[in-house]
Amino acid sequence: MTNIIQVQDLTFQYRRGTSPALKEINLCVAPGEFVGITGPAGAGKTTLLSCIDGIIPHYYGGDLKGTVEVAGLKVASSTFRDLALIVGTVFEDPDFQMVSISVDEEVAFGPENLGVPREEIEKRLTTALKKTRIESLRDRAISTLSGGQKQRVAISAILSMLPQVILLDDPTSELDPIGTVEVFTALRELNRDFGIAIVIVSQDMERLVENSDQIIVLYEGRILIHGAPRQVCSKRSVLASAGVRVPEVVEFTLSLHEALGKPLPVESIPLTVEEAVPLLGKILSENNAGGI
Amino acid sequence: MAPMIQAINLHHRYPNGFHALHGINVSIEAGEFVAIIGQNGSGKTTFVKHLNGLLRATEGVVNVNGTSVGKRPVSEMARIVGYCFQNPDHQIFCDTVYKEVAYGPVNLKLSPPEIEARVVEALEAVGLTDYKNSNPHDLSKGQRQRVAVAAVLSMHPSVLCIDEPTTGQDYKDGVDMLNLIDKLNQAGHTVLFITHDMPMVARFAKRLIVFREGNILLDGTTYEVFENVEVLKTTFLSPPQITHLAREYNQFYPRTVLSVKEMLDQTFELLKLKSLTGGIQ
Repeated sequence: MTNIIQVQDLTFQYRRGTSPALKEINLCVAPGEFVGITGPAGAGKTTLLSCIDGIIPHYYGGDLKGTVEVAGLKVASSTFRDLALIVGTVFEDPDFQMVSISVDEEVAFGPENLGVPREEIEKRLTTALKKTRIESLRDRAISTLSGGQKQRVAISAILSMLPQVILLDDPTSELDPIGTVEVFTALRELNRDFGIAIVIVSQDMERLVENSDQIIVLYEGRILIHGAPRQVCSKRSVLASAGVRVPEVVEFTLSLHEALGKPLPVESIPLTVEEAVPLLGKILSENNAGGI
Repeated sequence: MAPMIQAINLHHRYPNGFHALHGINVSIEAGEFVAIIGQNGSGKTTFVKHLNGLLRATEGVVNVNGTSVGKRPVSEMARIVGYCFQNPDHQIFCDTVYKEVAYGPVNLKLSPPEIEARVVEALEAVGLTDYKNSNPHDLSKGQRQRVAVAAVLSMHPSVLCIDEPTTGQDYKDGVDMLNLIDKLNQAGHTVLFITHDMPMVARFAKRLIVFREGNILLDGTTYEVFENVEVLKTTFLSPPQITHLAREYNQFYPRTVLSVKEMLDQTFELLKLKSLTGGIQ
Protein backbone atom coordinates (compact mmCIF):
# COMPACT_ATOMS: atom_id res chain seq x y z
CA MET A 1 0.00 0.00 0.00
CA THR A 2 1.30 3.48 -0.77
CA ASN A 3 2.34 5.76 2.04
CA ILE A 4 0.06 8.58 3.10
CA ILE A 5 3.10 10.74 3.90
CA GLN A 6 6.42 10.36 2.15
CA VAL A 7 9.33 12.66 2.95
CA GLN A 8 12.50 12.23 0.90
CA ASP A 9 15.85 13.92 1.52
CA LEU A 10 14.12 16.98 2.93
CA THR A 11 16.40 19.88 3.83
CA PHE A 12 14.85 23.25 4.61
CA GLN A 13 16.30 26.60 5.60
CA TYR A 14 14.08 29.55 6.56
CA ARG A 15 14.65 32.66 4.46
CA ARG A 16 16.27 34.50 7.34
CA GLY A 17 17.82 31.43 8.92
CA THR A 18 21.57 31.01 9.24
CA SER A 19 21.53 27.21 8.97
CA PRO A 20 18.97 24.61 7.84
CA ALA A 21 16.12 23.96 10.27
CA LEU A 22 15.75 20.44 8.83
CA LYS A 23 18.55 18.33 7.38
CA GLU A 24 18.15 15.26 5.13
CA ILE A 25 14.89 14.02 6.62
CA ASN A 26 13.52 10.73 5.28
CA LEU A 27 10.29 9.36 6.62
CA CYS A 28 7.21 7.36 5.60
CA VAL A 29 3.84 7.17 7.28
CA ALA A 30 1.45 4.39 6.24
CA PRO A 31 -2.30 5.08 6.14
CA GLY A 32 -3.74 4.73 9.62
CA GLU A 33 -0.42 4.95 11.49
CA PHE A 34 0.05 6.82 14.77
CA VAL A 35 3.38 8.66 14.71
CA GLY A 36 4.91 10.52 17.65
CA ILE A 37 7.54 13.23 17.14
CA THR A 38 9.62 14.51 20.02
CA GLY A 39 12.90 16.29 20.67
CA PRO A 40 14.20 19.38 22.45
CA ALA A 41 13.12 22.95 21.69
CA GLY A 42 14.50 24.12 18.35
CA ALA A 43 14.99 20.59 16.96
CA GLY A 44 12.74 21.24 13.93
CA LYS A 45 9.52 19.53 15.07
CA THR A 46 7.13 22.33 14.10
CA THR A 47 9.06 22.96 10.89
CA LEU A 48 8.60 19.33 9.89
CA LEU A 49 4.83 19.54 10.43
CA SER A 50 4.76 22.75 8.39
CA CYS A 51 6.47 20.97 5.50
CA ILE A 52 3.75 18.29 5.58
CA ASP A 53 0.65 20.51 5.82
CA GLY A 54 2.03 22.94 3.23
CA ILE A 55 2.51 26.01 5.45
CA ILE A 56 6.05 25.55 4.10
CA PRO A 57 6.53 26.55 1.27
CA HIS A 58 3.10 28.14 0.66
CA TYR A 59 3.20 30.65 3.57
CA TYR A 60 6.78 30.52 4.84
CA GLY A 61 9.37 30.65 2.11
CA GLY A 62 12.93 29.44 2.21
CA ASP A 63 15.31 27.07 0.57
CA LEU A 64 13.65 23.67 0.27
CA LYS A 65 15.41 20.59 -1.12
CA GLY A 66 13.94 17.12 -1.46
CA THR A 67 10.26 16.23 -1.72
CA VAL A 68 7.27 15.89 0.56
CA GLU A 69 4.23 13.99 -0.71
CA VAL A 70 0.88 13.64 1.03
CA ALA A 71 -1.54 11.05 -0.41
CA GLY A 72 0.48 11.16 -3.61
CA LEU A 73 0.31 14.97 -3.95
CA LYS A 74 3.57 16.87 -4.04
CA VAL A 75 3.14 19.46 -1.28
CA ALA A 76 5.26 22.15 -2.95
CA SER A 77 3.34 22.08 -6.24
CA SER A 78 -0.19 21.47 -4.89
CA THR A 79 -2.65 24.17 -3.89
CA PHE A 80 -3.27 24.82 -0.22
CA ARG A 81 -6.95 24.00 -0.84
CA ASP A 82 -6.16 20.55 -2.23
CA LEU A 83 -3.86 19.86 0.72
CA ALA A 84 -6.50 21.00 3.20
CA LEU A 85 -8.77 18.23 1.91
CA ILE A 86 -6.24 15.62 3.02
CA VAL A 87 -4.41 17.00 6.02
CA GLY A 88 -5.46 19.22 8.94
CA THR A 89 -3.38 20.68 11.76
CA VAL A 90 -4.14 21.32 15.45
CA PHE A 91 -1.88 23.81 17.23
CA GLU A 92 -0.61 24.12 20.80
CA ASP A 93 -2.97 26.91 21.81
CA PRO A 94 -6.55 26.09 20.77
CA ASP A 95 -7.58 29.77 20.98
CA PHE A 96 -5.10 30.47 18.20
CA GLN A 97 -7.13 28.63 15.59
CA MET A 98 -10.75 29.14 16.68
CA VAL A 99 -12.64 31.54 14.42
CA SER A 100 -16.23 31.10 15.66
CA ILE A 101 -18.27 31.87 18.76
CA SER A 102 -20.00 28.51 19.14
CA VAL A 103 -18.88 24.90 18.78
CA ASP A 104 -21.24 24.01 15.89
CA GLU A 105 -20.18 27.07 13.87
CA GLU A 106 -16.53 26.22 14.41
CA VAL A 107 -16.88 22.62 13.29
CA ALA A 108 -19.00 23.61 10.24
CA PHE A 109 -16.61 26.39 9.22
CA GLY A 110 -14.27 24.33 7.04
CA PRO A 111 -16.89 22.53 4.93
CA GLU A 112 -18.91 25.78 4.58
CA ASN A 113 -15.87 27.40 3.01
CA LEU A 114 -15.53 24.54 0.57
CA GLY A 115 -19.13 25.09 -0.54
CA VAL A 116 -20.29 21.70 0.77
CA PRO A 117 -24.13 21.41 0.51
CA ARG A 118 -26.11 22.20 3.64
CA GLU A 119 -27.41 18.69 4.42
CA GLU A 120 -23.95 17.27 3.95
CA ILE A 121 -22.49 19.85 6.36
CA GLU A 122 -25.05 18.84 8.99
CA LYS A 123 -24.09 15.20 8.54
CA ARG A 124 -20.37 15.93 8.83
CA LEU A 125 -20.94 18.15 11.87
CA THR A 126 -22.88 15.45 13.69
CA THR A 127 -20.32 12.77 12.88
CA ALA A 128 -17.30 14.90 13.81
CA LEU A 129 -18.79 15.84 17.18
CA LYS A 130 -19.67 12.22 17.84
CA LYS A 131 -16.21 10.90 16.97
CA THR A 132 -14.57 13.27 19.44
CA ARG A 133 -17.36 12.68 22.01
CA ILE A 134 -18.42 16.28 22.33
CA GLU A 135 -22.00 16.01 21.01
CA SER A 136 -23.23 17.53 24.26
CA LEU A 137 -21.12 20.66 23.67
CA ARG A 138 -22.65 21.39 20.26
CA ASP A 139 -24.44 24.62 21.24
CA ARG A 140 -21.91 25.85 23.77
CA ALA A 141 -19.89 29.05 23.41
CA ILE A 142 -16.24 28.10 22.86
CA SER A 143 -15.11 30.62 25.48
CA THR A 144 -16.87 28.58 28.20
CA LEU A 145 -15.03 25.32 27.48
CA SER A 146 -12.07 23.74 29.29
CA GLY A 147 -8.73 23.36 27.50
CA GLY A 148 -9.30 19.65 26.79
CA GLN A 149 -12.76 20.38 25.40
CA LYS A 150 -11.41 23.19 23.20
CA GLN A 151 -8.74 20.93 21.74
CA ARG A 152 -11.39 18.34 20.92
CA VAL A 153 -13.40 21.07 19.17
CA ALA A 154 -10.26 21.92 17.16
CA ILE A 155 -9.87 18.23 16.22
CA SER A 156 -13.57 18.04 15.37
CA ALA A 157 -13.29 21.09 13.10
CA ILE A 158 -10.59 19.24 11.18
CA LEU A 159 -12.58 15.99 11.06
CA SER A 160 -15.45 17.78 9.31
CA MET A 161 -13.05 18.24 6.37
CA LEU A 162 -12.80 14.41 6.16
CA PRO A 163 -8.98 14.37 6.31
CA GLN A 164 -6.78 11.32 5.93
CA VAL A 165 -4.11 12.77 8.21
CA ILE A 166 -4.26 14.94 11.34
CA LEU A 167 -1.11 16.75 12.46
CA LEU A 168 -0.93 18.04 16.02
CA ASP A 169 1.70 20.42 17.37
CA ASP A 170 2.05 19.82 21.13
CA PRO A 171 -1.74 19.89 21.65
CA THR A 172 -1.68 18.98 25.36
CA SER A 173 1.14 21.11 26.77
CA GLU A 174 -1.29 23.68 28.18
CA LEU A 175 -3.78 21.12 29.47
CA ASP A 176 -4.24 19.62 32.91
CA PRO A 177 -3.86 15.83 33.31
CA ILE A 178 -7.53 15.07 32.61
CA GLY A 179 -7.50 17.29 29.49
CA THR A 180 -4.39 15.47 28.26
CA VAL A 181 -6.06 12.09 28.72
CA GLU A 182 -9.20 13.31 26.90
CA VAL A 183 -7.21 14.44 23.87
CA PHE A 184 -5.02 11.32 23.59
CA THR A 185 -8.05 9.04 24.03
CA ALA A 186 -9.91 10.89 21.27
CA LEU A 187 -6.88 10.61 18.95
CA ARG A 188 -6.40 6.93 19.67
CA GLU A 189 -10.05 6.23 18.85
CA LEU A 190 -9.96 8.24 15.61
CA ASN A 191 -6.84 6.37 14.65
CA ARG A 192 -7.98 2.87 15.57
CA ASP A 193 -11.67 3.07 14.66
CA PHE A 194 -11.54 5.29 11.58
CA GLY A 195 -8.04 4.70 10.23
CA ILE A 196 -7.03 8.36 10.30
CA ALA A 197 -3.25 8.75 10.39
CA ILE A 198 -2.03 10.82 13.35
CA VAL A 199 1.27 12.69 13.48
CA ILE A 200 1.69 14.32 16.87
CA VAL A 201 4.49 16.46 18.28
CA SER A 202 4.68 16.11 22.06
CA GLN A 203 7.03 16.27 25.06
CA ASP A 204 4.87 13.72 26.86
CA MET A 205 6.91 10.54 26.38
CA GLU A 206 4.61 8.48 28.61
CA ARG A 207 1.68 9.08 26.25
CA LEU A 208 3.79 8.81 23.10
CA VAL A 209 5.22 5.37 23.91
CA GLU A 210 1.77 4.13 24.93
CA ASN A 211 0.02 5.26 21.75
CA SER A 212 2.50 5.46 18.87
CA ASP A 213 3.32 2.91 16.18
CA GLN A 214 6.57 4.75 15.50
CA ILE A 215 8.42 7.54 17.28
CA ILE A 216 10.76 10.02 15.64
CA VAL A 217 13.26 11.89 17.80
CA LEU A 218 14.54 15.06 16.16
CA TYR A 219 17.72 16.77 17.29
CA GLU A 220 19.28 19.83 15.66
CA GLY A 221 17.22 19.37 12.51
CA ARG A 222 18.07 15.70 11.99
CA ILE A 223 16.37 12.44 12.84
CA LEU A 224 18.36 11.16 15.81
CA ILE A 225 16.35 7.99 16.49
CA HIS A 226 13.43 6.50 14.61
CA GLY A 227 11.57 3.29 15.39
CA ALA A 228 8.89 1.50 17.37
CA PRO A 229 8.50 2.78 20.95
CA ARG A 230 10.42 -0.11 22.52
CA GLN A 231 13.32 0.34 20.10
CA VAL A 232 13.44 4.07 20.81
CA CYS A 233 13.36 3.47 24.58
CA SER A 234 16.23 0.98 24.30
CA LYS A 235 18.48 3.90 23.26
CA ARG A 236 17.99 5.82 26.44
CA SER A 237 21.55 7.12 26.71
CA VAL A 238 21.34 8.65 23.23
CA LEU A 239 17.97 10.13 24.18
CA ALA A 240 19.41 11.52 27.40
CA SER A 241 22.23 13.22 25.48
CA ALA A 242 19.52 15.00 23.44
CA GLY A 243 17.67 16.03 26.60
CA VAL A 244 14.81 13.58 26.02
CA ARG A 245 13.70 11.47 28.97
CA VAL A 246 12.24 7.96 28.73
CA PRO A 247 9.26 7.18 30.99
CA GLU A 248 10.15 6.40 34.61
CA VAL A 249 9.23 2.70 34.40
CA VAL A 250 11.54 2.30 31.40
CA GLU A 251 14.41 4.08 33.15
CA PHE A 252 13.96 2.00 36.28
CA THR A 253 13.53 -1.39 34.60
CA LEU A 254 16.48 -0.95 32.23
CA SER A 255 18.75 0.31 35.05
CA LEU A 256 17.79 -2.58 37.31
CA HIS A 257 18.36 -5.23 34.64
CA GLU A 258 21.69 -3.71 33.70
CA ALA A 259 22.82 -3.66 37.33
CA LEU A 260 21.90 -7.33 37.65
CA GLY A 261 23.88 -8.11 34.51
CA LYS A 262 20.75 -9.29 32.70
CA PRO A 263 20.15 -6.78 29.90
CA LEU A 264 16.52 -6.75 28.82
CA PRO A 265 15.74 -7.70 25.21
CA VAL A 266 14.12 -4.83 23.29
CA GLU A 267 10.80 -6.65 22.91
CA SER A 268 10.49 -6.98 26.71
CA ILE A 269 11.00 -3.30 27.54
CA PRO A 270 7.90 -2.19 29.49
CA LEU A 271 6.04 0.83 28.14
CA THR A 272 3.53 1.21 30.97
CA VAL A 273 3.30 0.59 34.71
CA GLU A 274 1.17 -2.49 33.98
CA GLU A 275 3.94 -3.96 31.82
CA ALA A 276 6.63 -3.16 34.41
CA VAL A 277 4.83 -4.84 37.31
CA PRO A 278 5.45 -8.51 36.36
CA LEU A 279 9.08 -7.78 35.42
CA LEU A 280 9.78 -6.35 38.86
CA GLY A 281 7.85 -9.19 40.52
CA LYS A 282 10.02 -11.73 38.76
CA ILE A 283 13.24 -10.08 39.91
CA LEU A 284 12.06 -9.71 43.49
CA SER A 285 11.02 -13.35 43.73
CA GLU A 286 14.04 -14.76 41.86
CA ASN A 287 16.37 -12.88 44.15
CA ASN A 288 14.52 -13.89 47.25
CA ALA A 289 13.87 -10.33 48.27
CA GLY A 290 12.84 -10.07 51.88
CA GLY A 291 12.85 -13.85 52.09
CA ILE A 292 9.85 -14.73 49.90
CA MET B 1 6.75 34.19 64.57
CA ALA B 2 3.85 34.74 62.19
CA PRO B 3 3.69 32.49 59.12
CA MET B 4 4.89 34.02 55.85
CA ILE B 5 1.50 33.36 54.27
CA GLN B 6 -1.75 32.76 56.05
CA ALA B 7 -5.24 32.48 54.58
CA ILE B 8 -8.17 32.34 56.98
CA ASN B 9 -11.58 31.39 55.59
CA LEU B 10 -10.63 32.92 52.23
CA HIS B 11 -13.49 33.13 49.74
CA HIS B 12 -13.45 34.58 46.26
CA ARG B 13 -16.45 35.29 44.12
CA TYR B 14 -15.75 36.70 40.66
CA PRO B 15 -17.99 39.58 39.47
CA ASN B 16 -19.81 37.08 37.19
CA GLY B 17 -20.91 35.19 40.31
CA PHE B 18 -18.46 32.26 40.00
CA HIS B 19 -17.52 31.14 43.51
CA ALA B 20 -13.87 30.21 42.91
CA LEU B 21 -12.59 29.79 46.48
CA HIS B 22 -14.77 28.28 49.21
CA GLY B 23 -13.10 29.22 52.49
CA ILE B 24 -9.42 28.38 52.19
CA ASN B 25 -7.44 27.93 55.41
CA VAL B 26 -3.72 27.48 54.96
CA SER B 27 -0.49 28.58 56.52
CA ILE B 28 2.95 28.60 54.86
CA GLU B 29 6.15 29.30 56.78
CA ALA B 30 9.09 31.35 55.54
CA GLY B 31 11.46 29.26 53.42
CA GLU B 32 8.98 26.55 52.40
CA PHE B 33 8.98 25.04 48.88
CA VAL B 34 5.36 24.32 48.00
CA ALA B 35 3.75 22.93 44.85
CA ILE B 36 0.09 23.67 44.19
CA ILE B 37 -1.68 21.15 41.99
CA GLY B 38 -5.23 20.48 40.82
CA GLN B 39 -7.37 20.53 37.71
CA ASN B 40 -7.80 23.64 35.59
CA GLY B 41 -10.48 25.77 37.23
CA SER B 42 -9.88 24.34 40.72
CA GLY B 43 -8.79 27.70 42.16
CA LYS B 44 -4.97 27.43 42.14
CA THR B 45 -4.23 30.66 40.29
CA THR B 46 -7.11 32.50 41.96
CA PHE B 47 -5.60 31.64 45.35
CA VAL B 48 -2.08 32.73 44.45
CA LYS B 49 -3.30 36.04 43.01
CA HIS B 50 -4.59 36.99 46.47
CA LEU B 51 -1.08 36.97 47.88
CA ASN B 52 0.04 40.11 46.07
CA GLY B 53 -3.34 41.78 45.79
CA LEU B 54 -4.04 41.04 42.11
CA LEU B 55 -7.32 39.68 43.48
CA ARG B 56 -9.02 40.69 46.74
CA ALA B 57 -10.76 38.38 49.20
CA THR B 58 -14.53 38.71 48.97
CA GLU B 59 -14.66 37.13 52.45
CA GLY B 60 -11.97 36.11 54.91
CA VAL B 61 -8.41 37.33 55.36
CA VAL B 62 -5.00 36.90 53.74
CA ASN B 63 -1.94 37.79 55.79
CA VAL B 64 1.54 38.07 54.34
CA ASN B 65 4.43 38.24 56.76
CA GLY B 66 2.05 38.90 59.62
CA THR B 67 0.17 41.80 58.03
CA SER B 68 -3.19 41.68 56.27
CA VAL B 69 -3.08 42.24 52.51
CA GLY B 70 -6.46 44.02 52.83
CA LYS B 71 -6.53 46.91 50.40
CA ARG B 72 -2.78 47.44 50.18
CA PRO B 73 -1.88 48.28 46.57
CA VAL B 74 -0.29 45.70 44.27
CA SER B 75 2.72 47.98 43.90
CA GLU B 76 3.39 47.68 47.63
CA MET B 77 2.68 43.93 47.78
CA ALA B 78 4.96 43.28 44.78
CA ARG B 79 7.96 44.09 46.98
CA ILE B 80 7.07 41.14 49.18
CA VAL B 81 5.39 38.69 46.82
CA GLY B 82 6.68 38.27 43.28
CA TYR B 83 4.30 36.66 40.80
CA CYS B 84 5.37 35.11 37.47
CA PHE B 85 2.57 34.55 35.02
CA GLN B 86 2.00 31.20 33.35
CA ASN B 87 2.84 32.65 29.96
CA PRO B 88 5.93 34.89 30.12
CA ASP B 89 4.67 36.76 27.06
CA HIS B 90 1.75 38.09 29.12
CA GLN B 91 4.23 39.80 31.37
CA ILE B 92 7.17 40.87 29.19
CA PHE B 93 6.75 44.20 27.42
CA CYS B 94 10.14 45.96 27.21
CA ASP B 95 12.43 45.79 24.18
CA THR B 96 15.54 44.72 26.05
CA VAL B 97 16.09 42.18 28.79
CA TYR B 98 17.82 44.86 30.87
CA LYS B 99 14.87 47.28 30.73
CA GLU B 100 12.45 44.49 31.55
CA VAL B 101 14.35 43.51 34.68
CA ALA B 102 14.95 47.16 35.66
CA TYR B 103 11.28 48.11 35.27
CA GLY B 104 10.24 47.24 38.85
CA PRO B 105 13.20 48.88 40.61
CA VAL B 106 12.81 52.00 38.41
CA ASN B 107 9.21 52.23 39.58
CA LEU B 108 10.35 51.91 43.17
CA LYS B 109 12.37 55.08 42.40
CA LEU B 110 15.58 53.47 43.58
CA SER B 111 18.89 55.18 42.90
CA PRO B 112 20.51 54.36 39.52
CA PRO B 113 23.43 52.46 41.10
CA GLU B 114 20.98 50.40 43.20
CA ILE B 115 18.88 49.63 40.09
CA GLU B 116 21.99 48.59 38.18
CA ALA B 117 23.11 46.36 41.05
CA ARG B 118 19.72 44.65 41.31
CA VAL B 119 19.49 43.99 37.57
CA VAL B 120 23.00 42.55 37.44
CA GLU B 121 22.25 40.34 40.45
CA ALA B 122 18.88 39.11 39.07
CA LEU B 123 20.29 38.33 35.61
CA GLU B 124 23.14 36.45 37.18
CA ALA B 125 20.72 34.41 39.31
CA VAL B 126 18.80 33.27 36.22
CA GLY B 127 21.89 32.84 34.02
CA LEU B 128 21.06 35.54 31.48
CA THR B 129 23.91 38.00 32.09
CA ASP B 130 25.03 37.71 28.47
CA TYR B 131 21.59 38.55 27.14
CA LYS B 132 20.99 41.86 28.88
CA ASN B 133 20.89 43.79 25.60
CA SER B 134 18.79 41.22 23.71
CA ASN B 135 15.18 41.74 22.78
CA PRO B 136 13.23 39.27 24.95
CA HIS B 137 11.19 38.22 21.93
CA ASP B 138 14.34 36.95 20.19
CA LEU B 139 14.92 34.51 23.04
CA SER B 140 13.60 30.96 23.42
CA LYS B 141 10.54 30.31 25.55
CA GLY B 142 12.70 28.87 28.35
CA GLN B 143 14.86 32.00 28.30
CA ARG B 144 11.82 34.31 28.28
CA GLN B 145 10.54 32.46 31.34
CA ARG B 146 13.86 33.26 33.02
CA VAL B 147 13.52 36.93 32.08
CA ALA B 148 10.12 36.93 33.77
CA VAL B 149 11.64 35.41 36.92
CA ALA B 150 14.51 37.94 36.88
CA ALA B 151 12.02 40.82 36.54
CA VAL B 152 10.36 39.59 39.73
CA LEU B 153 13.65 38.90 41.54
CA SER B 154 14.86 42.46 41.03
CA MET B 155 12.07 43.55 43.39
CA HIS B 156 13.74 41.49 46.17
CA PRO B 157 10.53 39.70 47.16
CA SER B 158 10.45 37.30 50.11
CA VAL B 159 7.93 35.08 48.33
CA LEU B 160 8.08 33.82 44.74
CA CYS B 161 4.86 32.57 43.13
CA ILE B 162 5.49 30.90 39.79
CA ASP B 163 2.54 29.79 37.68
CA GLU B 164 3.35 26.72 35.57
CA PRO B 165 7.09 27.26 35.16
CA THR B 166 7.60 24.26 32.85
CA THR B 167 4.57 24.44 30.54
CA GLY B 168 5.42 24.33 26.86
CA GLN B 169 9.09 23.63 27.52
CA ASP B 170 11.16 20.59 26.70
CA TYR B 171 12.38 18.32 29.48
CA LYS B 172 15.82 19.88 29.82
CA ASP B 173 14.51 23.47 29.99
CA GLY B 174 11.91 22.28 32.51
CA VAL B 175 14.53 20.73 34.79
CA ASP B 176 16.80 23.79 34.43
CA MET B 177 13.90 26.03 35.45
CA LEU B 178 13.09 23.95 38.55
CA ASN B 179 16.79 23.81 39.48
CA LEU B 180 16.82 27.60 39.34
CA ILE B 181 13.72 27.80 41.55
CA ASP B 182 15.30 25.30 43.96
CA LYS B 183 18.40 27.47 44.15
CA LEU B 184 16.29 30.56 44.90
CA ASN B 185 14.49 28.61 47.62
CA GLN B 186 17.82 27.63 49.17
CA ALA B 187 18.85 31.28 49.02
CA GLY B 188 15.93 31.99 51.36
CA HIS B 189 12.91 32.74 49.16
CA THR B 190 9.61 31.12 50.08
CA VAL B 191 8.49 29.41 46.88
CA LEU B 192 5.01 28.48 45.64
CA PHE B 193 4.68 26.99 42.19
CA ILE B 194 1.63 25.82 40.28
CA THR B 195 2.09 22.85 37.98
CA HIS B 196 0.55 19.82 36.26
CA ASP B 197 3.88 18.02 36.00
CA MET B 198 3.82 15.28 38.66
CA PRO B 199 7.37 13.95 38.16
CA MET B 200 8.68 17.52 38.65
CA VAL B 201 6.54 17.89 41.77
CA ALA B 202 7.89 14.61 43.14
CA ARG B 203 11.44 15.64 42.42
CA PHE B 204 11.44 19.20 43.75
CA ALA B 205 8.55 20.13 46.05
CA LYS B 206 8.75 19.51 49.79
CA ARG B 207 5.07 20.22 50.41
CA LEU B 208 2.05 19.69 48.22
CA ILE B 209 -1.30 21.46 48.34
CA VAL B 210 -4.05 19.93 46.18
CA PHE B 211 -6.98 22.08 45.12
CA ARG B 212 -10.35 20.75 44.01
CA GLU B 213 -13.37 22.88 43.18
CA GLY B 214 -12.23 25.83 45.26
CA ASN B 215 -11.27 23.80 48.33
CA ILE B 216 -8.03 22.32 49.60
CA LEU B 217 -8.38 18.57 49.15
CA LEU B 218 -4.99 17.49 50.51
CA ASP B 219 -2.11 19.33 52.17
CA GLY B 220 1.04 17.62 53.39
CA THR B 221 4.55 16.58 52.52
CA THR B 222 4.98 15.34 48.96
CA TYR B 223 5.31 11.80 50.34
CA GLU B 224 2.11 12.05 52.37
CA VAL B 225 0.04 13.47 49.53
CA PHE B 226 1.16 10.96 46.91
CA GLU B 227 0.20 8.14 49.30
CA ASN B 228 -3.44 9.15 48.88
CA VAL B 229 -3.87 7.67 45.42
CA GLU B 230 -7.61 7.15 45.76
CA VAL B 231 -8.25 10.71 46.94
CA LEU B 232 -6.07 12.13 44.15
CA LYS B 233 -8.05 10.12 41.62
CA THR B 234 -11.20 12.05 42.55
CA THR B 235 -9.59 15.09 40.97
CA PHE B 236 -7.98 13.17 38.08
CA LEU B 237 -4.45 13.48 39.40
CA SER B 238 -2.07 10.61 39.56
CA PRO B 239 1.32 10.18 41.25
CA PRO B 240 4.38 9.53 39.04
CA GLN B 241 4.73 6.12 37.34
CA ILE B 242 7.47 5.00 39.72
CA THR B 243 5.24 5.68 42.74
CA HIS B 244 2.57 3.44 41.19
CA LEU B 245 5.04 0.67 40.48
CA ALA B 246 6.32 0.66 44.07
CA ARG B 247 2.75 0.56 45.43
CA GLU B 248 2.14 -2.70 43.56
CA TYR B 249 4.77 -4.24 45.85
CA ASN B 250 4.15 -2.23 48.99
CA GLN B 251 5.17 -5.17 51.16
CA PHE B 252 8.71 -4.47 49.88
CA TYR B 253 8.42 -0.70 49.53
CA PRO B 254 6.54 0.37 52.67
CA ARG B 255 7.51 4.04 52.25
CA THR B 256 6.16 6.10 49.31
CA VAL B 257 8.71 6.20 46.49
CA LEU B 258 8.97 9.45 44.52
CA SER B 259 11.84 9.00 42.09
CA VAL B 260 13.60 6.39 39.97
CA LYS B 261 16.73 6.88 42.05
CA GLU B 262 14.91 6.17 45.32
CA MET B 263 13.30 3.12 43.76
CA LEU B 264 16.65 1.78 42.55
CA ASP B 265 18.31 2.41 45.90
CA GLN B 266 15.55 0.60 47.78
CA THR B 267 15.50 -2.27 45.30
CA PHE B 268 19.27 -2.77 45.49
CA GLU B 269 19.01 -2.79 49.24
CA LEU B 270 16.28 -5.43 49.07
CA LEU B 271 18.41 -7.53 46.75
CA LYS B 272 21.53 -6.96 48.86
CA LEU B 273 23.14 -5.23 45.90
CA LYS B 274 24.01 -2.04 47.73
CA SER B 275 27.42 -1.77 46.15
CA LEU B 276 25.95 -1.32 42.69
CA THR B 277 24.08 1.91 43.38
CA GLY B 278 27.18 3.99 42.88
CA GLY B 279 27.03 3.55 39.13
CA ILE B 280 23.46 4.75 38.73
CA GLN B 281 22.77 8.46 38.43
